[in-house]
Amino acid sequence: MKIDKERMANSQKAFNSIVLGTAAGLLTYYAFLYYNIAIFGWNLGLIFAPLVAGYVETIIAQKIIGESIGAISAFILFLVTVVYGFIIANPTLGYNVITFGSIIIIIQAAIPTFINYFGLVVIISMFSYLTGFFKKLTDTIDNKIRKLLGKEERPVEIILPYDDEESNKKINSLDFAFITSNNPKIIEYDNIGYFYTTAIFERNTHLLHISPENVEKKHLNELKKGKDECLIKLSEEIKNAGGNGVIDLEINYILNGLGGSSFQIIASGMAVYIKVESLTS
Amino acid sequence: MILTSANTLENKQIKEYKGLVTGEALIGANIYKDLFSGVRDVVGGRTSNYEKEIKKARDIALQSMKEKAEQLDANAIIGLKISYDNLGGTMGNTILITAYGTAILYEEK
Repeated sequence: MKIDKERMANSQKAFNSIVLGTAAGLLTYYAFLYYNIAIFGWNLGLIFAPLVAGYVETIIAQKIIGESIGAISAFILFLVTVVYGFIIANPTLGYNVITFGSIIIIIQAAIPTFINYFGLVVIISMFSYLTGFFKKLTDTIDNKIRKLLGKEERPVEIILPYDDEESNKKINSLDFAFITSNNPKIIEYDNIGYFYTTAIFERNTHLLHISPENVEKKHLNELKKGKDECLIKLSEEIKNAGGNGVIDLEINYILNGLGGSSFQIIASGMAVYIKVESLTS
Repeated sequence: MILTSANTLENKQIKEYKGLVTGEALIGANIYKDLFSGVRDVVGGRTSNYEKEIKKARDIALQSMKEKAEQLDANAIIGLKISYDNLGGTMGNTILITAYGTAILYEEK
């Protein structure tokens, strides 16, 4: 409890230091505005008011707490002077790119590490990761350079719809019976055993895409291709075990990998040997 | 085209097993659509747009499957299975709808 009381007392002292620092800064700014201390129309209060605020706050904090508390009032004064000097007192500046650019530069001067990290690392990286913009840009530049050097351009990825008709023909011309029923009628068969095959491929995990339709098409194509691969593999494995069909066939699609980074397709069922003539009655 | 999840067709004679037919449709990752449906979830409304999208995708999957059955000269699909698989996305809204079954040729008894 004693520690808490001390902390509370220190917080109160710190708050008082900030208030006094801010007040000193505001007074300074008022004086600079009142006497119009400016160079080329640019009021020097923009520089001196935050400096005075920070200085007063630090001196008071060191006296009553024994340490500096980070010149928070200087930052408050930065905001006040920017808002007043750039927007309220100078309406001709208007809400344009230059005004906002200046505000960002002044804030950047107040807290450089945070703004630089946030602006350069976080925002740009997020934009790049979410949209794949830089990949596209570097691909375009790469192609332009290749063209200049007389080399062949890298092909642009065009996603064609998966040929379902061809896939259907391929799957049903394997001399193999895929049957989804678990107790098929009319056919005679012997059980061989349970078989399953699987295929895994990578998923595009970007949240935003320059072309979401293309990502969608690509994923669907991959899923269809994976399904065909699984079925062909299943038929080959069952044929090797002496079978010629599968009953109670199941095809499952699962999201897998770290953070759902891949798709997994599983085809499974009971391998059987079917008397071929019994497939037709 | 008759579609059934059963192993056989009542009062009909299965003449021939034609093969496997499948149909797939994907409701893709679209952050704008996902966020909108997320907002609807928060305010408690029914995400009717999403329901429509799912219905549309299921119709596409079934239609694709039926076309393949016709290609094999079948007139029914038995052992039909329809599954809805969640394949991630921004709010788990990438859904794959698959329909598959065994294409057969039947005759009236």
